Amino acid sequence: MSAALSLFGRQTWLYSRFELQRLFLTPRGWFALAAFTTIWYFLLRYPIYQASVQLQEPEIQQMLSGMLGMVGMYNLLNWSLPELSVYWALTVFFMPLAVLFATADQTCSDRSRGTLRFLTLRSSRDSIFFGRFIGQILVQALLIGLSLLATLGLAVWRVGELPLSAINATLVIWLNLLIVLLPFTALMALCSALVRSSRLAISLAIVSIGVVTGSLGYLVWHFPDLRVVLEYLPGAQLPMLLGAQGWETLKHCGLPLLQTAVLLLIGRIVMQEKAL
Amino acid sequence: MSYLIEARNLSKSFGQKAVLQDLTFSLPSGEPIALIGPNGAGKTTLFSLLCGYLPASSGELTVLGHKPGSSALFGRVSALPQDAMLDPNFSLLTQLSFFGQLQGMSKAKALAESRRVLSLVDLAGSADLKATALSHGMRKRVAIAQALMGSPELVMLDEPTAGLDPVNALQVRQLIATLSGEASFIISSHNIFELERLCGTVLYLEHGKLVQQSAVQSAATQGYVTLTLEPGAYTDVLPQLRALPGVIAVSDSQKHEYVLQFDAELAPDFDLTLLMALRQFGWRYRQLTKGQTLEQQLFAVTAKQA
Repeated sequence: MSAALSLFGRQTWLYSRFELQRLFLTPRGWFALAAFTTIWYFLLRYPIYQASVQLQEPEIQQMLSGMLGMVGMYNLLNWSLPELSVYWALTVFFMPLAVLFATADQTCSDRSRGTLRFLTLRSSRDSIFFGRFIGQILVQALLIGLSLLATLGLAVWRVGELPLSAINATLVIWLNLLIVLLPFTALMALCSALVRSSRLAISLAIVSIGVVTGSLGYLVWHFPDLRVVLEYLPGAQLPMLLGAQGWETLKHCGLPLLQTAVLLLIGRIVMQEKAL
Repeated sequence: MSYLIEARNLSKSFGQKAVLQDLTFSLPSGEPIALIGPNGAGKTTLFSLLCGYLPASSGELTVLGHKPGSSALFGRVSALPQDAMLDPNFSLLTQLSFFGQLQGMSKAKALAESRRVLSLVDLAGSADLKATALSHGMRKRVAIAQALMGSPELVMLDEPTAGLDPVNALQVRQLIATLSGEASFIISSHNIFELERLCGTVLYLEHGKLVQQSAVQSAATQGYVTLTLEPGAYTDVLPQLRALPGVIAVSDSQKHEYVLQFDAELAPDFDLTLLMALRQFGWRYRQLTKGQTLEQQLFAVTAKQA
């Protein structure tokens, strides 16, 4: 039993590490990194920098606090640097969408190409499925870390110093973003196991989210008591998350972790049963 | 006795279509095994079941005593799957060494092993290329190379020489013949002459059923000689051959090719008798083979059963 676990752990780690190799050592990865850098240059240069400057104005701060307070996000402006507030507000909504596209090809093209046939003679389908998923998380952790460091750099350039509280806030945001993205990455692991191309996986994910949300909305319209079900959809915790501050934000991590576990469990079953 | 592969009442259906029906067979390790049959007979499906790519609909199947796809078979069973390609984003060396690491090798050993198997298929110079830069034949050879990584006990090759030029096909056949002492091979092919040269046992599938399982060189060699004459205006060949002492029957299976069935006890030196007759009648021969060809052996049986 322990030998099997050790084999699973070793092979899963090899698959995860290979995803980093895919990012840093292949032309496809270099293009992805170049696109990532370009997008973040524009995000930092325009929305984040400009908004941070605007947020220094007491009138604007007061007005925004009032507006955000009305929608329960009264803590959004309380991060130690305005750059982090803008970063947090931007990424928490835009990153899940980006992740749907970036992590769509976890296993599908390997299945359609037949590469999985080479791999399954040497490792379990579980190792492939979970290894690729963890690999995606590692890539996200790294890229989110880099974008946060760039945001901190921008703030230091503006204010001329780096407050300790900003480092703490950066860690909080990094960890929170990773947790927010987990169910979306797990959803793409499942969709990727179901279909044979990344485009189909993206379409399937978007349509699934739409159909589930629409169906639940219809049900809630007719049976208002079911409203509670809407609180279990991926991303449902985001408005509450934006209303929280510091390490207190982690009290909202239960739902995404549970969603991730459920999606991975279904994905694992699909992966086991699927013909190669 | 422990078998390489054991199947009991094995069936596989896709929806309503039964692709494999109630197969029961046991294959011992040793000489290469041929899996043969017409298109749609179920060869690739059987391969996929053996590799664990597909689950069986019913019945039992074990490979080296384990369920296909089991972790106990990692590194012990390898395969050349039909139409499978490596990842186009990485070089051959990177991917093969990754496979080696999955099989438990250290990085250095996996790199050395990758270079070894690439040189076995004459692709050592292409180690840094990506799969997209290779021709169809080279891709096939890389896929064969990956199947030879480590020390597999069982190597399953689905159409190993399909799409290869004659020189590379010969090289692959020689490679299989050389390595067949170290590992057991199962080879699926439409090339009956190739299988005849390489294999000791034949599994013949037709319409998803096992029509025949036999040794290539046993029954077929007893009391049969296949004679191929050079093209020429020879007359009365059939009657003259039928008149030879010990001959039971003669059939002309193809132009200038004759299969002679004889009584091996009555005429133990029949091949000498035949050679003398050839000289006597002035017939020049191109080939004289002991036994029936695999083609004659298989299709005579299936024709009888039909």
